Amino acid sequence: MSNEIKIGDYVVIQKQNYKKLHKFNKADSSISLGRDTVNLKGIDGCPYFSVFKMIPKSSKRNRDYTVELAQEAVKLKDEIDIKVSGSDNRNILDDGNSQKLSASDIETLKSDSNKASDIVGTLINNSNTFHNKTEFSQDKYLRKKEKKYFEYFQVIKPNLRVISEIMYKLDPGKIQNLRIDTLSQIITMVNIHSEGNHLLYDSGSNGLVAAALLSVIGKDTNGKLLHMHPGNMSQKQALLAMNFPEEQLNRCVSVNVYSALRQFYQGCDTNNGVDKDIQTSENDENPLKRKADETDEHQSKKMKQEEDEELVESLDKTDGDKPRGNKKPKWHFDNIAASEILQNKMDSLVIACKEDPQNIFNELVSFVKPGRPFVIYYSAVEPLQQLYLTLRPRANVAALKLTCNWMRNYQVLPERTHPEVTMNGASGYLLSGYVLK
Amino acid sequence: MSFRNYKDKIEEGDTVILYLSNNLYALDVQREIKNKKGEMIENVYQTPFGALKVKTLIGADYGTKIELTKGWGHVLQPTPELWSLTLPHRTQIIYTPDISMILLQLDLVPGCVVVEAGTGSGSLTHALIRRVRPHGHVYTFDFHEHRAKIAQEEFKDHGLADFVTAKHRDVLAEGFDKDLNGKADAVFLDLPSPWLGVPHALAAIKEEGGRFCSFSPCIEQVQRTCLALQEHGFQEITTMEVLQSEIKVSRRTVPVRDLSFLKQKSSISPVEEKPSSETSYVVGALPQSNPGHTGYLTVATLPPVYVRGKSKKDDDNISSENGEKMVVDENV
Ligand SMILES: C[S@@+](CC[C@H](N)C(=O)[O-])C[C@H]1O[C@@H](n2cnc3c(N)ncnc32)[C@H](O)[C@@H]1O
Repeated sequence: MSNEIKIGDYVVIQKQNYKKLHKFNKADSSISLGRDTVNLKGIDGCPYFSVFKMIPKSSKRNRDYTVELAQEAVKLKDEIDIKVSGSDNRNILDDGNSQKLSASDIETLKSDSNKASDIVGTLINNSNTFHNKTEFSQDKYLRKKEKKYFEYFQVIKPNLRVISEIMYKLDPGKIQNLRIDTLSQIITMVNIHSEGNHLLYDSGSNGLVAAALLSVIGKDTNGKLLHMHPGNMSQKQALLAMNFPEEQLNRCVSVNVYSALRQFYQGCDTNNGVDKDIQTSENDENPLKRKADETDEHQSKKMKQEEDEELVESLDKTDGDKPRGNKKPKWHFDNIAASEILQNKMDSLVIACKEDPQNIFNELVSFVKPGRPFVIYYSAVEPLQQLYLTLRPRANVAALKLTCNWMRNYQVLPERTHPEVTMNGASGYLLSGYVLK
Repeated sequence: MSFRNYKDKIEEGDTVILYLSNNLYALDVQREIKNKKGEMIENVYQTPFGALKVKTLIGADYGTKIELTKGWGHVLQPTPELWSLTLPHRTQIIYTPDISMILLQLDLVPGCVVVEAGTGSGSLTHALIRRVRPHGHVYTFDFHEHRAKIAQEEFKDHGLADFVTAKHRDVLAEGFDKDLNGKADAVFLDLPSPWLGVPHALAAIKEEGGRFCSFSPCIEQVQRTCLALQEHGFQEITTMEVLQSEIKVSRRTVPVRDLSFLKQKSSISPVEEKPSSETSYVVGALPQSNPGHTGYLTVATLPPVYVRGKSKKDDDNISSENGEKMVVDENV
């Protein structure tokens, strides 16, 4: 992937700590950032990491922006000169009257000024208390305002770290709460690298696990990923967002698990000549899947709907797996390819599912070479505990281990270092082990 | 040579991992070894379950069960993960939970060039090699001459020499190799004063930018490193801690005590009633002793040259929300 932003790329728009994935599919495509709509005309051809300034189209009120390449993001602190500060907060009283401007004054100010520093500067000058506040509090205030009025964003290249972070923040329910630390361990526990044939069953990470595995299989290597899923089309969002070159993406064979196994065992991927439509509806009506989706939807209700739709906006219309004309559809050749890969046996097995992992593991483990590792991810511990007890007496697996992770971020500032106040509590569990002869 | 490629069968010269009831041992497959007197004798490996005649492994499949006089076990091909659990410790080492996060945070994929100091026991180095091969390369440095030499030999014995260059060097005093200037996609530091390595990391990372990570057990090291990173124009400076716990699974039979019958008058009412029945659960429990701290991971991005800021004293990048309410606001 080149270093210049080009049409067709997935890009990440980063505005302060907020990151958003966007398919940059035409030169003047628009993106919504919070309540702002930003037209990206002009970013095409600029190098990644460039900083852009948001320019209001008319007044700030309608929140429509165009962009302009900037030298660097100017910080409020550098633009606003604060002369005095208090030494502590003992005299500060929050009586709601410290601001001299009225609410409507502020509205007018916001829509009339073009610069964040003008707005914030005026607010500060009309505050009775600001100059009594400690430097630390003033600083914090500016940072908070900056968040609100920040006028710059950067365009960065998506990669596994960034995509995993964005998807987890946006709606962890959609990726089964698979947090970045746990994701990183899935990759290492099964020794995924540039070689070998790796088997993945994934029924609900929006392509995140496939993206992770394919990224470390790498470009211009020999490794292959066989990506099985229960649906009609695979979930590929994260996979596509990685902007993998064609050659690399082609080494990920995505197949419907029913068709691929039917092809492997019966030499034919449809149910006795019954055609694709029926096969499709069979999978679509899969009651298990339905149910899982519903639970999921329920969970994600809590999430900010607005943002939610945004990710989908650019990511959903993707798959080209539909049969075209009379020609055999691509999925048919994929099933044959999958069956051939399975014939040679697999070097690893990863399962990240919504269903009970037991049957899926029992079936897929038979394709794994002896001595090779497997890992199963599940968002709750009970199904894995059950599976652990089932597998323990068996002779075909060893070194079973059930683990969970804990991760905490830190604020590191001189004299003010402490763990961050919120922690991402939710990540699931991993059951790992080795397949034996 | 069993570290380089997937293998199906064990050959002489391989290092294999013996898995014996939750214990792991790394073992070199040699028919004969020297005894104390310097004579070649048959290689017999002593395990808690009895002696293993090493030559019997040759030609066997990886994943095979091996019978010992007092039990049985399995032989596995080494992976960086299994190696981290069995390698000879010459220093403190980094383990898989941190290693996994380091690899992901450094954005490493096949083809990347990564610089590491210090090499230590090579636990992380094996995982770095596996991630960047076949087109990428790991440059690893240690100022302890003997360690650097052993590491070098080990990589050669493991068949990994093509993917790694291990050198003896004090990277804080001398920087990384001049030849590495502008060559690295990522720099990793696990040494006592990582902040002193930041300027060298800056020099080593490519013009188009890259990632930095440092692993430090103490928060004071982290604070100094974060300041140095900021001063040298790194962005998105983040510090985190990752811990993994193993859950012990068992089936537990639990007595059930019935109290409902007390609502009715009955003939007998002993003071101490026996539980009335039993029920069974599958339970997962955290072990008594669990890792509580390994080290802090501090990561950062070095942007491409064309957007690298001048050295600025500014803590915006490492700030984060925190609960204290602001007093001044807009009254809206
Ligand atoms: C804790 S060990 C690294 C362990 C390693 N990460 C592993 O997983 O095996 C730290 C190493 O850094 C080396 N070291 C310390 N200061 C150094 C310096 N200035 N230059 C090069 N190596 C240094 C030490 O000799 C030691 O071997």
